[in-house]
Amino acid sequence: MPRPGFVLDVDRSTPPILFHHGEGFRLERLPAGRSRVIYPAEPIEPLKNPDAAIRHALVNPIGDSEPLTALLKPGMKLTIAFDDISLPLPPMKRPDIRQRVIEAVLELAAAAGVDDVMLIAALALHRRMTEAELRHAVGDRVYDAFAPQGLLLNHDAEDPDNLLFIGTTEKGEEVEINKRAAESDLIIYVNINLVSMDGGWKSTATGLASYRSLRHHHNVRTMQHSRSFMDRHASELHSANWRMGKVLKDSGVKVFQIETTMNNNVFGTEGPMSVLQKREWEWSLSDRISMAGMKTALDLMPQRTRRQIFQNWQAPHAMTSVQAGEVEAVHELTTANVYKQHLVPVEGQTDIMTMGLPYISPYNVNSILNPILVACLGLGYFFNLYRGKPPVREGGVLIMSHPTPWEFHPVHHPSYIDFFEQVLSETTDPIRIEAEFEKSFAEDEWYRHLYRTSHAYHGVHPFYMWYWCSHALQHLGQVIIVGGDVRAVRRLGFKPASTLQDALEMASDVVGRDATITHIHNPPILMADVH
Amino acid sequence: MARMPINRSQTTSVMKRLPINRVVANTVGRTSASVGRIARSVLREPTVPAGVHKEQKVSTVGANYDTDWARNYPARFARLLVRTIVIKPIVEALASPTIIGADRLADIDGPVIFTANHRSHADTPLMMTAVPEPWRDRLFIGAAADYWFTNRISSPFSALVIGAIPVERKKVSRTAIDTSLELLAEGWSMLIFPEGARSPDGWAQEFTAGAAFLAIKSGVPVVPVFLIGTDEVWPKGSKLPKRAEATVVFGSPITALPTEDNRSFARRIEGAVAMVADEQSTDWWQAQRRAAAGTTPSLQGPPAASWRRSWARSEPRRSGGRRTWPSV
Amino acid sequence: MKALRFERSIARFAAANLASRLNPGGGAKVGPLRLRDIDPPQLPGDDWVEVLPRLAGICGSDLAAIDARSSRYFEPIVSFPFVPGHEVVADLATPIGHLGAGRVVIEPVLGCVTRGIDPVCTACARGDLGNCERIAFGAIEPGLQSGFCCDTGGGWSTRMIAHVSQLHAVPETFSDEAAVMVEPTACAVHGALAADVAEGDLVVVLGSGALGLLTIAALRRFGRPCTIMAVAKHPTQHRLALELGADSVVLPHELTRAVRRASGSLALGDGDIIRLTGGADHVIDCVGSEESLTEALGVVRPKGRITMVGMPGQVSVDLTGLWQREITLAGAYAYGTETLPTGQRHRTFDLAFELVEAADLGRLVSATYPLSQFETAISHAAAAGARGAVRIAFDLRNEKERNRA
Repeated sequence: MPRPGFVLDVDRSTPPILFHHGEGFRLERLPAGRSRVIYPAEPIEPLKNPDAAIRHALVNPIGDSEPLTALLKPGMKLTIAFDDISLPLPPMKRPDIRQRVIEAVLELAAAAGVDDVMLIAALALHRRMTEAELRHAVGDRVYDAFAPQGLLLNHDAEDPDNLLFIGTTEKGEEVEINKRAAESDLIIYVNINLVSMDGGWKSTATGLASYRSLRHHHNVRTMQHSRSFMDRHASELHSANWRMGKVLKDSGVKVFQIETTMNNNVFGTEGPMSVLQKREWEWSLSDRISMAGMKTALDLMPQRTRRQIFQNWQAPHAMTSVQAGEVEAVHELTTANVYKQHLVPVEGQTDIMTMGLPYISPYNVNSILNPILVACLGLGYFFNLYRGKPPVREGGVLIMSHPTPWEFHPVHHPSYIDFFEQVLSETTDPIRIEAEFEKSFAEDEWYRHLYRTSHAYHGVHPFYMWYWCSHALQHLGQVIIVGGDVRAVRRLGFKPASTLQDALEMASDVVGRDATITHIHNPPILMADVH
Repeated sequence: MARMPINRSQTTSVMKRLPINRVVANTVGRTSASVGRIARSVLREPTVPAGVHKEQKVSTVGANYDTDWARNYPARFARLLVRTIVIKPIVEALASPTIIGADRLADIDGPVIFTANHRSHADTPLMMTAVPEPWRDRLFIGAAADYWFTNRISSPFSALVIGAIPVERKKVSRTAIDTSLELLAEGWSMLIFPEGARSPDGWAQEFTAGAAFLAIKSGVPVVPVFLIGTDEVWPKGSKLPKRAEATVVFGSPITALPTEDNRSFARRIEGAVAMVADEQSTDWWQAQRRAAAGTTPSLQGPPAASWRRSWARSEPRRSGGRRTWPSV
Repeated sequence: MKALRFERSIARFAAANLASRLNPGGGAKVGPLRLRDIDPPQLPGDDWVEVLPRLAGICGSDLAAIDARSSRYFEPIVSFPFVPGHEVVADLATPIGHLGAGRVVIEPVLGCVTRGIDPVCTACARGDLGNCERIAFGAIEPGLQSGFCCDTGGGWSTRMIAHVSQLHAVPETFSDEAAVMVEPTACAVHGALAADVAEGDLVVVLGSGALGLLTIAALRRFGRPCTIMAVAKHPTQHRLALELGADSVVLPHELTRAVRRASGSLALGDGDIIRLTGGADHVIDCVGSEESLTEALGVVRPKGRITMVGMPGQVSVDLTGLWQREITLAGAYAYGTETLPTGQRHRTFDLAFELVEAADLGRLVSATYPLSQFETAISHAAAAGARGAVRIAFDLRNEKERNRA
């Protein structure tokens, strides 16, 4: 019976707490009497027969929608869009959820005599997926059947011939999406809802959109008014996407949304990695041996090997629910299922929040977590995993633990290098950055060329990473990174510290001595429900 | 009756010529003669007097061979060793097998019946190494009694190394059925070649209903398997195997519907294997659509003369286009 | 008199070369430069005067010579043994006509006039003293400049001689430090104007040592309005480059990407750039090494211009890019007479005086040393950038014998 998440008050008997530190771990002692640790829930039992559940969902739709069998007709134009490599994190063992869902959908399509089918990875301005990554997501059978004929594609947001302007929302936000999808009789969206930010109208309105569309909600003002962007009802990001969804619906674009949720079984409940999911006081002798062995082995390895080992990890997290049908109705149900796994009730806020950042973010799968992504992971994703209020008070201090190497992947993140070297050296203020630099990066021909033909994130993408931090930067009084490369941390505009103790010492200048501390024991994923 | 190669007088004459003590030579000569006598009496069959009817011994080989001993732990361990140390390396060296579709088995709990097309002797060892865990360790094979269980040497060999139980080709014997059902109930998975024999020209023969019958009776799902290339590894009729490439393709498991009988389920199994074959010769999506439309090409090949059938079989597989630059 | 003298000794040359590989400036200890007591140089004629150096700078070409790293090119235009030091502010031993009894800065190039050659060569007639074709001929021994000639002496001593045409009066308002910067500034002015930058061009200045910083200042003041991107390794250089007029300063490994964005050029190779397809309009190389030349060829645009102000040596460079992209590679040496973009002609030294005053370039003299500490001085000069320094000079003002008659 999986136990729910809970908040631990740290006392003198509390053992050292595990902090993720990039491709490595640290065990830190939090000061007794004024610290608390938020632990995630244990993984919910996955579905016993996922394929049967998928088939059931397809013919028993939620909301105002016919069953999929009724929507598939011979001679129709069908587009199947699916989430890209940013989900799930870490990548899951085969068979991937998308493979299961797409095979089930195609079986029904074959039975209905549908011939004109196209599959699109809905990656918006992310990088194109490689063959190996696509094979992992949709499976070899589907890949070999569609890719050689050019029927399995990466969405190209910079292809002027393959974008269709649909209309504008009541607030003047332009809606422009992939032309093939817009002109289809039906779009089937295959979604993985790892966190409550994903899914709903965001799938189509963002995943298949262009820069012209995205700039209306991927900007500083929207992110500052999303508190948080993990809570749809308090998020300007989602309000904008929902407005765009209405424009899509009204213009006749038909979407059959299939959403799935996963449990947070990232490291497994058995095996050498399972110690990372267990509560520290419940570590058995073999767990402690695993931990010590892993730490020692990792310290001896060169960085490249460490990175390879971690990036090759495929998590055993599995599907816990699947629902299909009308976008908004499906999404309400999905969100409730996500909350079931992630939400942990938390009382009040503290002065300081600490977090250990792991090696992976949505934007560095099979790649390097560069300093900008470190900032985005901590101040963007982890900070915003709350509902109500952040666990740290306004003007408080955020302490993150990560080596923050001054290293970039030149093929995946070329525009990030220029952003870090040329923009951040000028200013770290998101508003100035947006005003003075975004346009030149978004319209740069070389970045556009690399996005379209190589495997690079779009020129404007590092800006989005920085905007993702806007709410946190506004809310916090200081940001400290423990154990990071000093020059890189300074360039980000944060303060470097070598140990957690030094960081707490530095924080006392802002929040005083005897400050209260919250530590978020994430991963596995948790969302703080703060009252 | 065996004759001793040397008799007493010959022995003594040889002894005489050797520089040995005469007494010793005589003793040796006498001993060899008595050994020969004892041997003759043991090895010679007694003659049967007239008027007496000799009882026919029940053969303990062939279809009646008891293979239970081959499923206890020491035997299973021995089989594991043989499979890992002997069979697997040889199979990999000769057939460089590619295994496709094993992920379709991921959700199955409990035993299954693998039904595969049959072209060569290489099929069985290939399957033994290709079937994934956990079914691989608890797998028994229905093997032709008249080929694999002919005598007291081949019977234990087949039972131990292959994990086979004897099955008669044309008629379904009681013992084979009972043993199979018992084993399926105990959680053992079964490998069966429903054609009954290796194909003469590469096309499949009609699938017999044995697998269907067992599946319905035991309620165990059937996994259709299509083997490619094994007839090039060990062609029917040649003495020794040679190097070639083989592929094992697992299809989605199917279960008998309550309305189906042996015949119709057997046809459905054959159709499932045919769809797996179609997947490989075209692609999965094509195979799905042809199956839905009922136009999956039959495993038994076109109704035509033998050369045309061989010709049609060797048509090159459609290859997908490739970009000139290798993808990152 | 006390002097640092550069002597011709094969063994010492070899030792200096080896020592300098381990430690730039290490040639001072074991090399051909020795601190000696020698006779002062003799005046070869009436138009020559004796001067007493006050400050004498240490230049990159001096360092190359001390480490025995200079090219063999110089052999016929240098005469041993010589006293180095061509960046000199000095006192006149006896007052002369228009110069009075004040201080002077020496223009070290030994052209036709100083060598007593009449009529002068075409270059000297034009005012391009640096291109004089008679530097190994005439009344004095071969030597391209004072400080490389055995007859003239040089700044790293208490006495040297100069032809009257080499003397420039130093205004009262100038400090000695400001005056000693005039000669290097003149090199920079000449190089900056040789580049002939057009309005709105993107100019990359490689190297932010003294020469690079002075070139930035010269471009800003005398060149047409342009965008200057400086490349600086060290924080002091970074700060000074911005102060002297650079629009942006980048680290060496950031240069290619910075030029790409600034020029809007595309690049070959995926995110791992192989080279740019476009580039900067001008690159001024104030370093003169294999790496800097290769870098320059990598960031200049097709039909762009690379101006080499820093002295190179024997380098090995792939010139395919030069040919394929129709790049102009030009040298800029010393000084003479300049034509400004406005069309006016001035002597380079006059422009240099103007720039030194306007940009307060005297502050670039970071440290001075007496002759006796020459080894420390040389090693400081060799590591100037890393040690937060720009120009190191010898201070002769306190040498005891100087004030004797």
